[in-house]
Amino acid sequence: MKPQDKHIGGTLNRVDGHLKVTGAATYSAEYELPGMSYAVLVGSTIAKGRIKSIDARAAERAPGVLAVITHFNSPKVPGFTPTGKDPSQPQTVGGRLKVFHDDLVRFNDQPIAVVVADTLERARFAARLVKAEYAAEKHETDMSAGLKQAFVPTQAKKNPKSPVADYVRGTADAYKTGTRRLEAEYIIPTEVHHPMELQSIIAHWEAPDRLTLYDKTQGTLATRRDFAKEWNLPEENVKVIATFVGGAFGNALHSWPHESAAIIAAKKVNRPVKLVLTREQMTTMVGYRPHTWQKIGMSASADGKITAITHEATGQTSSYEEFTESTVQQTRMMYESPNVNTRYRLAALDVSTPIWMRGPGEATGAFALESAMDEMAYLLNLDPLEFRLRNYTDKDPENGKPWSSKFLKECYQMGAERIGWNKRQLKPGSLRDGEWLVGYGMGVGTFGAHRGSSKANVRLLPNGTVVLQSAVTDIGPGTGTAMTQIAADALGLPPDKIRFEWGNSQFAQAPTQGGSAIVNTVGPAVQEACMAMKEKLRTMAGASNAAFASARKEEVVFADTYLTLNGNPGARASYADLLKQTDGGFVTVESKPNGENNQKYSMYSFSVHFAEVRVNPLTGEVRVSKLVSCADAGTIVNQKTAGNQMKGGAVGGIGMALMEAAVMDDRFGRYVTKDLADYHVPVQADAPAVDVLFVNQPDPHVNALGTKGIGEIAIIGVAPAIANAVFNATGKRIRELPITPDKLV
Amino acid sequence: MNQFQYIRPSKQQAAIEAVARDANAKFIAGGTNLVDLMKRGVMAPQKLVDINRLPLAKIEHENGGLRIGALALNSAVADDRQVRERQPLLAQAINAGASAQLRNMATTGGNMLQRTRCPYFYDTALPCNKREPGTGCGALEGINRMHAIFGFSDKCIAVHPSDMSVALVALDATVLVSGPKGDRRIPFADLHRLPGDTPEKDTTLEPGELITAVDVPDGPFTKHVSYYKVRERASYAFALVSAAVALDLDGNTIKAARLAFGGVAHKPWRLQTAEQFLVGKPATEETFRQAAAVAMQGAKAFKHNEYKLKLAPNTLIQTLKNAAAA
Amino acid sequence: MNTEPDLPANHDEARRNFLKQSSLLTALALVPGPVVEAAAQNLDERVASAFEKVPLKLEINGKKFKLDVEPRTTLLDLLREQLHLTGTKKGCDYGQCGACTVHVDGQRVNSCLSFAVMHEGKKITTIEGLADGDKLHPMQAAFVKHDGFQCGYCTPGQIMSAVACVREGHAGSEAEIREYMSGNICRCGAYTNIVAAIQEVKNGGQKV
Repeated sequence: MKPQDKHIGGTLNRVDGHLKVTGAATYSAEYELPGMSYAVLVGSTIAKGRIKSIDARAAERAPGVLAVITHFNSPKVPGFTPTGKDPSQPQTVGGRLKVFHDDLVRFNDQPIAVVVADTLERARFAARLVKAEYAAEKHETDMSAGLKQAFVPTQAKKNPKSPVADYVRGTADAYKTGTRRLEAEYIIPTEVHHPMELQSIIAHWEAPDRLTLYDKTQGTLATRRDFAKEWNLPEENVKVIATFVGGAFGNALHSWPHESAAIIAAKKVNRPVKLVLTREQMTTMVGYRPHTWQKIGMSASADGKITAITHEATGQTSSYEEFTESTVQQTRMMYESPNVNTRYRLAALDVSTPIWMRGPGEATGAFALESAMDEMAYLLNLDPLEFRLRNYTDKDPENGKPWSSKFLKECYQMGAERIGWNKRQLKPGSLRDGEWLVGYGMGVGTFGAHRGSSKANVRLLPNGTVVLQSAVTDIGPGTGTAMTQIAADALGLPPDKIRFEWGNSQFAQAPTQGGSAIVNTVGPAVQEACMAMKEKLRTMAGASNAAFASARKEEVVFADTYLTLNGNPGARASYADLLKQTDGGFVTVESKPNGENNQKYSMYSFSVHFAEVRVNPLTGEVRVSKLVSCADAGTIVNQKTAGNQMKGGAVGGIGMALMEAAVMDDRFGRYVTKDLADYHVPVQADAPAVDVLFVNQPDPHVNALGTKGIGEIAIIGVAPAIANAVFNATGKRIRELPITPDKLV
Repeated sequence: MNQFQYIRPSKQQAAIEAVARDANAKFIAGGTNLVDLMKRGVMAPQKLVDINRLPLAKIEHENGGLRIGALALNSAVADDRQVRERQPLLAQAINAGASAQLRNMATTGGNMLQRTRCPYFYDTALPCNKREPGTGCGALEGINRMHAIFGFSDKCIAVHPSDMSVALVALDATVLVSGPKGDRRIPFADLHRLPGDTPEKDTTLEPGELITAVDVPDGPFTKHVSYYKVRERASYAFALVSAAVALDLDGNTIKAARLAFGGVAHKPWRLQTAEQFLVGKPATEETFRQAAAVAMQGAKAFKHNEYKLKLAPNTLIQTLKNAAAA
Repeated sequence: MNTEPDLPANHDEARRNFLKQSSLLTALALVPGPVVEAAAQNLDERVASAFEKVPLKLEINGKKFKLDVEPRTTLLDLLREQLHLTGTKKGCDYGQCGACTVHVDGQRVNSCLSFAVMHEGKKITTIEGLADGDKLHPMQAAFVKHDGFQCGYCTPGQIMSAVACVREGHAGSEAEIREYMSGNICRCGAYTNIVAAIQEVKNGGQKV
C-alpha cells in the first residue's frame, strides 16, 4: 500500500465526533449574541384568500414584546418590490414566498405576522394574542382535483430538452399493443423531511448593510445569494454560518419564509433575532416530498424482454412556485427497452412549495418502476432478479453512451447471496415464520454521479497543522471526515494534523450539499489544493535549498516542524522559515469536472436493496426483518460513515414504505398530521439489522478519487423492495404508500 | 403559553381546595400531557397545583389486591415485582404505551386522565366540541381513520389514548378519589364517560376531585394474559386498535375471561358479552373468532376507519391466541 | 424534601394588584409625566413581570443554581436559553422525539415536558455533565467508535437515554434495547450503530 492511499477507504472516526457526543457541537440556534431576542411566527388559519385585518394590539402590549410585524408595517424589503407595472399586483408565479409583503394568503399556516420579544416564553405567548380577519376564498388542496388540471412545467415548455420535458424512444405508449402487458397506478403521499433539528436561524444586522446569519442551510453560498438579493446587498456583506446542521434531507436546499421573517424582524428591532420553527411549522412551510401520482405501462415478450415502458407522473406543487424533480428519469436508462416514453406534469394546489427530499424524484419514481418490474416478473412467472438480469443494459439506452462504470450485476449477486434470495418462492404466501407470513422483495436505485465546480483553500500552520476551508456544509454524511482523509492522503499526513473547516460562506466556494455530489465535487478540490500547496512549498524551499529545487512534489514529506524529502532526510526547510514569506503556504485551487469525460460517458451510481419482511395475517402489521443494501458508488472514502449513510437511507425507505404520510383535511386545506405523534417516522424498534455491501470499485471518469456518491441511492429503491416483499408474503399488491395495517387487514 | 400561578402544596387537602375553589385551576403531576396541551393553547389553566410532593406514590399489596398510588410512575408500576407477578397484564399494557422517558414522568392517575389525541382537538384553528363546545366535530366528516367505532355521538368521535386504562378496565379496578366533599370509590368502568352531548367532559370526576390510588383486585389472571397493540410503527405510537385479554384456563377450557379494547371508543372498551360467551368454551381459534364477532356487535365505522371493523376483531383474536399460549 | 415549604401563592395576585394601580394612575393622567410615559411604553407590564418569577434551586451537572424563573419555563428552555447548556436539544417540544432527554435524580425524562419549577431541589444531569473532564463517558466513546450518529442532533438525547437504558437493566438483548430506545428518534437512521454502541458498553462491564 502506498502511503498516500492509507486513509481513503479506511474507517476513520468522525472528526467532529467528540463535539457531537459531548453536546459541544453548536447548531444554528445555539450561538450566544448580546441582546438576543426571540421571534415566533403567526400562521394563517385559512388556505386561500386575503387578510382583511390583523389585531396586534394585545400582543404589542404583552410583556417583553419588541415588535409585531405584519404586511401592514413590515420594513420594506428591497428585493420584494414587484417587478410588474402595477405595484399593487401580487407577486408572479415562480418566486419564493415574499413574507409580509401583501395581503394574500396562499396556503394554510402561511406566516402572516412575526412577534419579537425579549424571551422565548413571552414571544410565544404574545404570538397567540395576534388575531387576523380574512376574506376567505375557495381553496383547492385535493390532489384528485389537481390531477384534472395537471400542466406541463414551464421549464419544459421553454426547453424541449429539459429533463422534465416529455421523452420518447421508439414509439410512445407502445405497451398498449403488447400481449403481455400491465398498466398500474402508483401513489405516494406527501412526505415530510422532519430532520431532528427544527429549522432555526439567528439573524443579526451587524451594521445597516451587513448581515450575519447563523442558519440551518445545506448551502451557505446559496443562502447568502438569496438574502443578499432580497436586501439588495453585495454578497460579501452577507455572512452565513452553518457549521452544524441537525439533519435536513433536502429541506434546507431552499430559502424559506421564516428566514426572511427573521431578517425582517432583526431589521425592525435592531437586535439579533432567533427564530426556531415549531414541529408543526416544519410540516407547513419548509418543503416536503410532493404527493405524486404515477402510471406505468409495460409490455414484455415471452422470453422476459421488456418491449415497452411508459412512465407518467404528476407531482404536487404550490400555486406560486413551480417545483419539479426527476421522477421519471431512471425509467429512460435503467432497463433495455426499444420503446420508452415519459411524461411529467405538475398539479398546482393551494399549499406551500415542495422541495427535494432524500433520493428525491428518483425515489418516488423508483417506487413505481420497481413495483412494476416486480408485477411484470410475476405476470411472466419469472424470478424478479432474473427478469432484471434479462433487461440489463451495458450502455446507457437513453443516449447510447457507455457507462463511466457500472457494477450493478455484482451488486445483484452479492445482495441476493446475503439475503438468501434462494429461499424466496415465486408463489406469494408460501413462507411462514410461526403465525407471520414471510416475503422477499428487491428494488433497484440509481442516481446521477454529479460533479460540479468547487474551490478549496489550504494553508500550513507553523506547528505543522494543515488547515483547509470550504463553504460546504455537513448535514450528517461526514463531509468533514471524508475531506480530512482525502487531504491526509494527498499530503501524507496523519488525519489529526489536518483541520478541515466548513459551513461558512466566507470560506472557499463549494456547492450546496445535495444530490450526492459533495465528495465527487469538493473531494478533488481538496486533493488538488493539497498537491498545489505541496508544490508551492517545495518551490519556496527550493529558493534557498537546491535539494528542494530539483525535487518533485511527490518526494516532499511533511515532518513535525519542517519540510523534508523522501530519501533525503538531510534536506530540511522549517515551517517557521517558509511561513515568514508572503502568504506562507496559502493556496486556493478551483477544481472543475472533466468536460470531455462528461460528453463521452454516462455517469451514475447504482444500488439494489433486498428486503425480508414479516406480515401478521390477522392484523396487517409489517415488520422488516432484514435489509441488504448493495451499492456501486465508486471509491468508498470512509467505510464507517458511508456504511452508516446507507443504513440510514434504508431506515428512511422503511419510513416511506410503511408509515410516512402527511394527511390534509381538504375542507380546511390544513394538515392533521403536523407533529411526530401523527406523522410517523421509524423508531429504533422499526429498524432491522441492515447489511451494507459496497462494490468499492473506483470510477475512472468522474474524478481522480473514483467516487460516485451514495446519499441518494441509499434510499432509492428501498420502498419498492419492501412493497414487493409484502406482495411476496401476502399476495397483496399495495400501490399507494404507506403500507399501513388498514391496507392489509 | 399564558402565565399561570404555580403552587406546590405539601398537604392533599390544600391541593384539593386550591383546585375546587378555582375553575381555572388544574392539578399537575407528570405533566406529559398537560404541558403539551398548554404549549399548543389547547388548555390554558391560570393556576397549576403541583401534587408531586403528596405522598401518593406507593405500590402496596393489601386486602386481596394491589393498591397503586396515583403518583406511582408508569415505569415504577410496570417494573414492580408485585405488579408483574399478580397483574402481568397491567405491566404489559403500561409498557406498550409511550416511551421509557415518558413512563418515567407519567403517573398512574395522570395516565388515566390523558386527553384524546384527535388532531382536531389539538389544532385550535379547527373545530372541536371537546376543546370548544359548540364549534362542531371536525373529525365526523373529516379525517377519521384513528377514530371511534363504539359509543360515539354526533358531537364527538374521539378515542381515549391510554393503554394502561384498557388493562385496568379489564381487571375490574377501582379508582380512589378524594374531593372537597370527601372520599369515594369509582369502578374503573365508570371513570371515563361517553361523549354524548358533553364531550368536553372526559370523566365523571367532580371539580376538585383528586385521584389518590387505584385498587386492582387479585384474580386468577397471572399467566394467560396478553396486551397487544396494533400501531403504525413498532413502538412509541398510539394504537390503531389494542386489546387486553386475561384468561383463566382449566386445561384448555376457559373458566373466566376479561377482555377490553383500546383505540375504539371515548373510553377503554370493556367487552363483557364476549367474556361471558367465552366461559366454558375451549380455547381454540374457532372460539376466539366467535367471541370476536360477539365483541364487535354494535360497531359502526366512518369514512376512514372502516378497517377497524376488521382490525379490531382480528386484534382480539390475535390477543386471545397470545394469552392462551402464554 | 418534606421540609420544603409550600410555594407561596401570591405572585399572581401581586402582579395583578400592581397593574391595577398603574393603570389607575395612567387613567387619572394627573400623575407626573414619566409615569404616564412608562405606562404608554408598557413599562408597567415589564415591571409587573418581575412578580411573575418564582425562586428555584437546582443542581445541574454537580453545580448548584439559585434561579428565578417563570413557572411556564420548561426545563428544556431553561437549560438552553437561560443557562446556555445547549447540548440538550429541542427536536419537537412535545415529548415525541427524545432529543431533550436528561436525567433527573438519575432517571431519564423528556425535559421539554416539565416545567423547571417542578424540579425544585432535584439533581439534573445533561450531556455536558456526563464526561469526566476530558475523559469521555464509555457510552460517548462507544458512540464515536460505532458511529452512532450522523448529523449529531439527536445524539445527546440518545446517549443520555442509552446510559439510563443500561442502568435500568433494559439492555439485555438487541430486541430489548430497540424497544427501550424507541423514545429517541434518529432521522438519519443510525439505529443499528446505536445498538452496537450500547451493546458494547453493556457487555464491556464498565461502570456506567
